[in-house]
Amino acid sequence: MDERVLLVEDDASIREIASLGLRDAGFRVTAALDGRDGLTRALHDPFDVIVLDVMLPSLDGFQVCREIRKQSRVPILMLTARTDTVDVVVGLESGADDYVTKPFEMPELVARVRAVLRRAQAIPEETTISVGQLEVDPTGFTARKDGKDLPLTATEFRLLLEMARRPGQVFTRELLLQRVWSYDYLGDSRLVDVAVQRLRAKLEDDPAHPSMIKTVRGVGYRLDRP
Amino acid sequence: MPRRIRPGRLRRRLAIAYVLVAGISAGALALGSFLLVRHDRLSDSLSRAKDSVTFQLGTLAPNFLPLTEKNIEDLKTSFEHTDQHIVLVTRGDVVVPSNTSFDPPIPSGLQRLVQRGQIGYQRLQSGGHHLLIVGGKIPGSTDELYFLFVEDRNYRDLAQLRNVLLIGWVVVLLLAGVVGRSLAKRTLEPVAQASLAARSMAEGLLATRLPVEGQDEFGTWATSFNEMADALEAKITALSEAQARERRFTSDVAHELRTPLTALVGEASMLREHLDRMPAESRRPAELLIQDVTRLRRLVEELMEISRFDAGRETVQAEPVEVLPLVGAVLRARGWDGSVSVDGDGLVLSTDRRRLERIVANLVGNALEHGGRQVRVTVGRDGRGAFVEVNDAGPGIPREHIPHLFERFYKADPSRSGTGSGLGLAIAMENARLLGGDIAVRSEPGLGSQFRLILPVTESLPSGEGTVASDHDHGARGPRNQGGTG
Repeated sequence: MDERVLLVEDDASIREIASLGLRDAGFRVTAALDGRDGLTRALHDPFDVIVLDVMLPSLDGFQVCREIRKQSRVPILMLTARTDTVDVVVGLESGADDYVTKPFEMPELVARVRAVLRRAQAIPEETTISVGQLEVDPTGFTARKDGKDLPLTATEFRLLLEMARRPGQVFTRELLLQRVWSYDYLGDSRLVDVAVQRLRAKLEDDPAHPSMIKTVRGVGYRLDRP
Repeated sequence: MPRRIRPGRLRRRLAIAYVLVAGISAGALALGSFLLVRHDRLSDSLSRAKDSVTFQLGTLAPNFLPLTEKNIEDLKTSFEHTDQHIVLVTRGDVVVPSNTSFDPPIPSGLQRLVQRGQIGYQRLQSGGHHLLIVGGKIPGSTDELYFLFVEDRNYRDLAQLRNVLLIGWVVVLLLAGVVGRSLAKRTLEPVAQASLAARSMAEGLLATRLPVEGQDEFGTWATSFNEMADALEAKITALSEAQARERRFTSDVAHELRTPLTALVGEASMLREHLDRMPAESRRPAELLIQDVTRLRRLVEELMEISRFDAGRETVQAEPVEVLPLVGAVLRARGWDGSVSVDGDGLVLSTDRRRLERIVANLVGNALEHGGRQVRVTVGRDGRGAFVEVNDAGPGIPREHIPHLFERFYKADPSRSGTGSGLGLAIAMENARLLGGDIAVRSEPGLGSQFRLILPVTESLPSGEGTVASDHDHGARGPRNQGGTG
């Protein structure tokens, strides 16, 4: 394994026990103490996943997340205070792939880290899928529309790939949570909603009136053939 | 409901009382003076008539005796040119008036008096005149002589006086009415103001005060009222500040606990992984530590949750939710699916998924903890709306505890510490209310308990069907009314 994890957390105890837990699980952990430090490290060293606390001194987690996203598609896992604040939505909208709520148990954190890592891994056995002007290449981990590369994060790419495999079929949020985020049950449907929004912003000509990814009320989403 | 004060009732009563007092006193005064004047005038005229009659009977009349035809004629003539008239009665039946236009019947009572030798008088009306008849015997004969005095002038004056007094009385009455009304209005104005002020205070406008005008009783009253309002306002402000402080404190405590708690939970979870590698003497304490950290975590999380309700910052994010699968997911996520049975129909509600999950989890958790056996969840709808019922066949809840079940930290049995925080049902109820619903409890000691969540049905789609809404992103974000359809 030996994947490299950057842990940005200001509280010493949480930082230490989380580092310990992730190391136990086989990751190489680098710890950063605040937002600025975390951002500098994230931009200079290659990491496979970043675990980012929201409440940080000097630069908060959302800002760090947005700055990283300007340059990198590295999977980001947010540590948030509560599930039902705007924190979660703001975190996801600033580009995080998933979140873990404090307090958390180590196996939970490790499982989430593994899940985002899995999403970022290439899928070598599949061939390129075409839906209209859209091309999704699982091996190269790239998506193109009208021949132009779409700057998708790992999660957005997986979401698009999942729906592109069966265009026209309705995917429930639960199914997408299971396939893309690896939640067996009780995943947060906002993960799907925010990811779809971000995907639309990159994919659609007019994200407010999507022509490709349609909302099926009360059920979920569907990728239409143009 | 405060009884509505009918304006004007007391005012009318006051005005009427005023008019009555003024009317009665003015009337008594007028009547008294009228009677006095009348008595004065009539007795004055009577005494003058008596003097004149005594003189004429004693001095003049005997000159005409004996009453021959000629003497009678002379007697009559002597009165012809005075404004006095006489009626002469001789031998009991012959009546001779001096002026034929003044010839009243002599009242028999008066005549009897005169025949007994006394001087008598009587007033009567005859031929359109008020007459005073004074009569007596002519000394030395049996003939009676009656003098007629015309009192028309007296009576005319009295009638005039009466009319003037009557008109005056009516004017006083009217004046009293007008003055009384305005006086009553002025008097009762502070009362109306006070009742308005009291009502506006009752409606929560604690800054309401009465204007203090003058040094009278109403001024004192207004001052007292304002003092009471000051005290009330100060008290309520202090109370609500204390409550806000208390809530803020709870919320702060919960938040401050979160960071060390996060470290604790992480540490405990790692200890658990290494339990089997621990020496026997530290394994048990480590197990207990892990258990207690779990308990502490639950307590802090629920404390934070309830303090969010207190802060009033909770919002509802409605979306169509299939209730039955949600219940299944809740049970699976907590490992309860083996011990809890579920049945019901494919109900779809527009509601907040996470809150519904929370309520179901808390109710089932409570049933498992206290009821223990045969926990069953039923989903359905009836006339009152949609419901999720959690039944158990446990020992039941004594009747006296039922009204308090949803209070914070209420324990039906204080000796049972339990694993619950004491906030689970309170949180379930807060969530239910936020969704526009309610939770009803029924319990039969010895047979079991039923907690029934009732939710309003705002939207129902048959599961598996739906319409494509391409122009709206229906993501469940942002505060939304629970009635919203997204």
